[in-house]
Amino acid sequence: MSKIHHQQPPPFAVAFGIVMQGIRIRLGRSIVTLMGVMLGIAFLMSMLTGQTIRQGVSRETATRAEARRMVNFLVAETGPLAGRGLNVLAAGPLNPTERRVLMDLMRAGITRIHWAGATPPADLLPDTVLQRVTAPASFEPEAAALLVMGDGAAASDWLGAIYTKSQQVVTATRRILLPDSFSSGIAVVGLEREQQPEELQAQADEARRNRFRSGWIIVISLLVTVIGITNAILMSVTERFREIGTMKCLGALSVFIRQMFFIEASLIGFVGSVLGALLGALFALVAFGFSYGFDLALAALTLPHLLLHAALCVAAGIGLSVVAAIYPASVASRMLPASALRSTV
Amino acid sequence: MKLPLPKLESLFPPDEQAGRRTMIRAVDVRKVYRMGAVETHALRGVSVDIQEGEYLSLMGPSGSGKSTLFNMIGGLAKPTSGKVYIDQVDIAQLDANEIAWLRCRKIGYIFQTYNLIQVMTCLENVMLPMSFAGLENDEARDKAMYILKLVGLAHRPLHKPAELSGGQQQRVALARALANSPDIILADEPTANLDLHTGEEMIELFASLRDELGVTVIAATHDLKMLKRSDRILWLADGQIIRAAHPREVDFASGEFH
Repeated sequence: MSKIHHQQPPPFAVAFGIVMQGIRIRLGRSIVTLMGVMLGIAFLMSMLTGQTIRQGVSRETATRAEARRMVNFLVAETGPLAGRGLNVLAAGPLNPTERRVLMDLMRAGITRIHWAGATPPADLLPDTVLQRVTAPASFEPEAAALLVMGDGAAASDWLGAIYTKSQQVVTATRRILLPDSFSSGIAVVGLEREQQPEELQAQADEARRNRFRSGWIIVISLLVTVIGITNAILMSVTERFREIGTMKCLGALSVFIRQMFFIEASLIGFVGSVLGALLGALFALVAFGFSYGFDLALAALTLPHLLLHAALCVAAGIGLSVVAAIYPASVASRMLPASALRSTV
Repeated sequence: MKLPLPKLESLFPPDEQAGRRTMIRAVDVRKVYRMGAVETHALRGVSVDIQEGEYLSLMGPSGSGKSTLFNMIGGLAKPTSGKVYIDQVDIAQLDANEIAWLRCRKIGYIFQTYNLIQVMTCLENVMLPMSFAGLENDEARDKAMYILKLVGLAHRPLHKPAELSGGQQQRVALARALANSPDIILADEPTANLDLHTGEEMIELFASLRDELGVTVIAATHDLKMLKRSDRILWLADGQIIRAAHPREVDFASGEFH
């Protein structure tokens, strides 16, 4: 009685070699499959990048509008700013809106800024304008206004000193920076716009609806992609029926056949999604660049964001291709070796 | 094609079990295909013993169950009822891995349409069963080159099958069948697509494999020359063996042997 052993699948390199050769020889078919992955992933990438650009642009637009409103408000209280000075008390680091306010103030013609408190943003204020002060007494008495800004608690002794000794307009970009009670004879203006809870709620709802809508579109489009890839691989299984049957006659295990299809799918998925991510990012940039302006669109995109999205897309591309290959691979691996013997093709 | 047999012999290590054994035994094999409500009886109780080193020809019109029997004794399909023993092992008892092992090492298949893997070179085609058998790449390459040399194709190992003539392709197929030194060569109409001369070479090659190395050769064929060279001819009709005879007992000149 002779002994029958278990067949061991050949090493990964064998399957990989056969797959690479197959892809090279059947380049046309592989490219069709690749196009499927590429288009699906390009769509995903353009959605992701587009969303980032849109969010960034709308955040930037809101910041600019808010800053413009604050400056207009300030001008309404103090009169034109051209050629005048400004006292600034910085309670902490500035947010984008406050930085924008400073830029707009400079543009409005402020010539001197006496700055107290936290470090001033050197990139916005040239040395010729900026003058740092360490005591309330050093503030310019004729300045148009005292502007309190920054993330932190305003020094109330500073404010108190200002309140009592000058007739200046005191303004703040944040409501929280102003004390509750004021001395008489001082105009105190909060520049921050008060947002109603209903308004905030409505914004959050709108954002959620948007996320859901784009999520839905992405899911549907990826499903279509998966089905497209499945169809392409299924066609190539049909094409290779004899080949697979022959391999089974020669002792290939079902595991090996499945492995080949999964390797092929992940290779095509990888290349397709890298190309797709490039294409999608480029498309989103061009499309949004033309509608919002390229400087705004580019400013909204950061490299870490892009890389994160690209990594997500490549992972999704490989994952989807492998998922798409499950059914064709199982069809191929369940094939009877006897079908290789059928001579009629 | 001259076969340097002493060289071929090195591929087939001598068997420690002396004497003839039954290589394939089929006992009352039946096969029923179901197509919806219709049952097709492809085999209606076939029993046959095939000895080690026998050169057996299978004959029968299409639909006679010839290919079904061929698949059964080649371990490519399992019977509906009855037993098939390959080298004294009941194939119904084997799981998928063991059957794959059996196909890989015990049996060499030769197909009517060669069935070479088109995307691979000749050398890779011959190496493939060796890879499945767990041979290292370098070792497989050396052995494949050796076998290709034996079948007279040493000068074009890196050609794709499509670049070769029918006869050359069938030689590659033979080399591939010999890759893991099988006990059984199973050939389906191996000469049907070959010209007269190449066909004769193939027949002689089978005969010498049988004579010198004790390989069991089973061929489905209608080729007169092949039938005459075989040890036994089986006629199949309607899923049953209707006649078995040595070529000496057959009058090939008359129409009766069809």
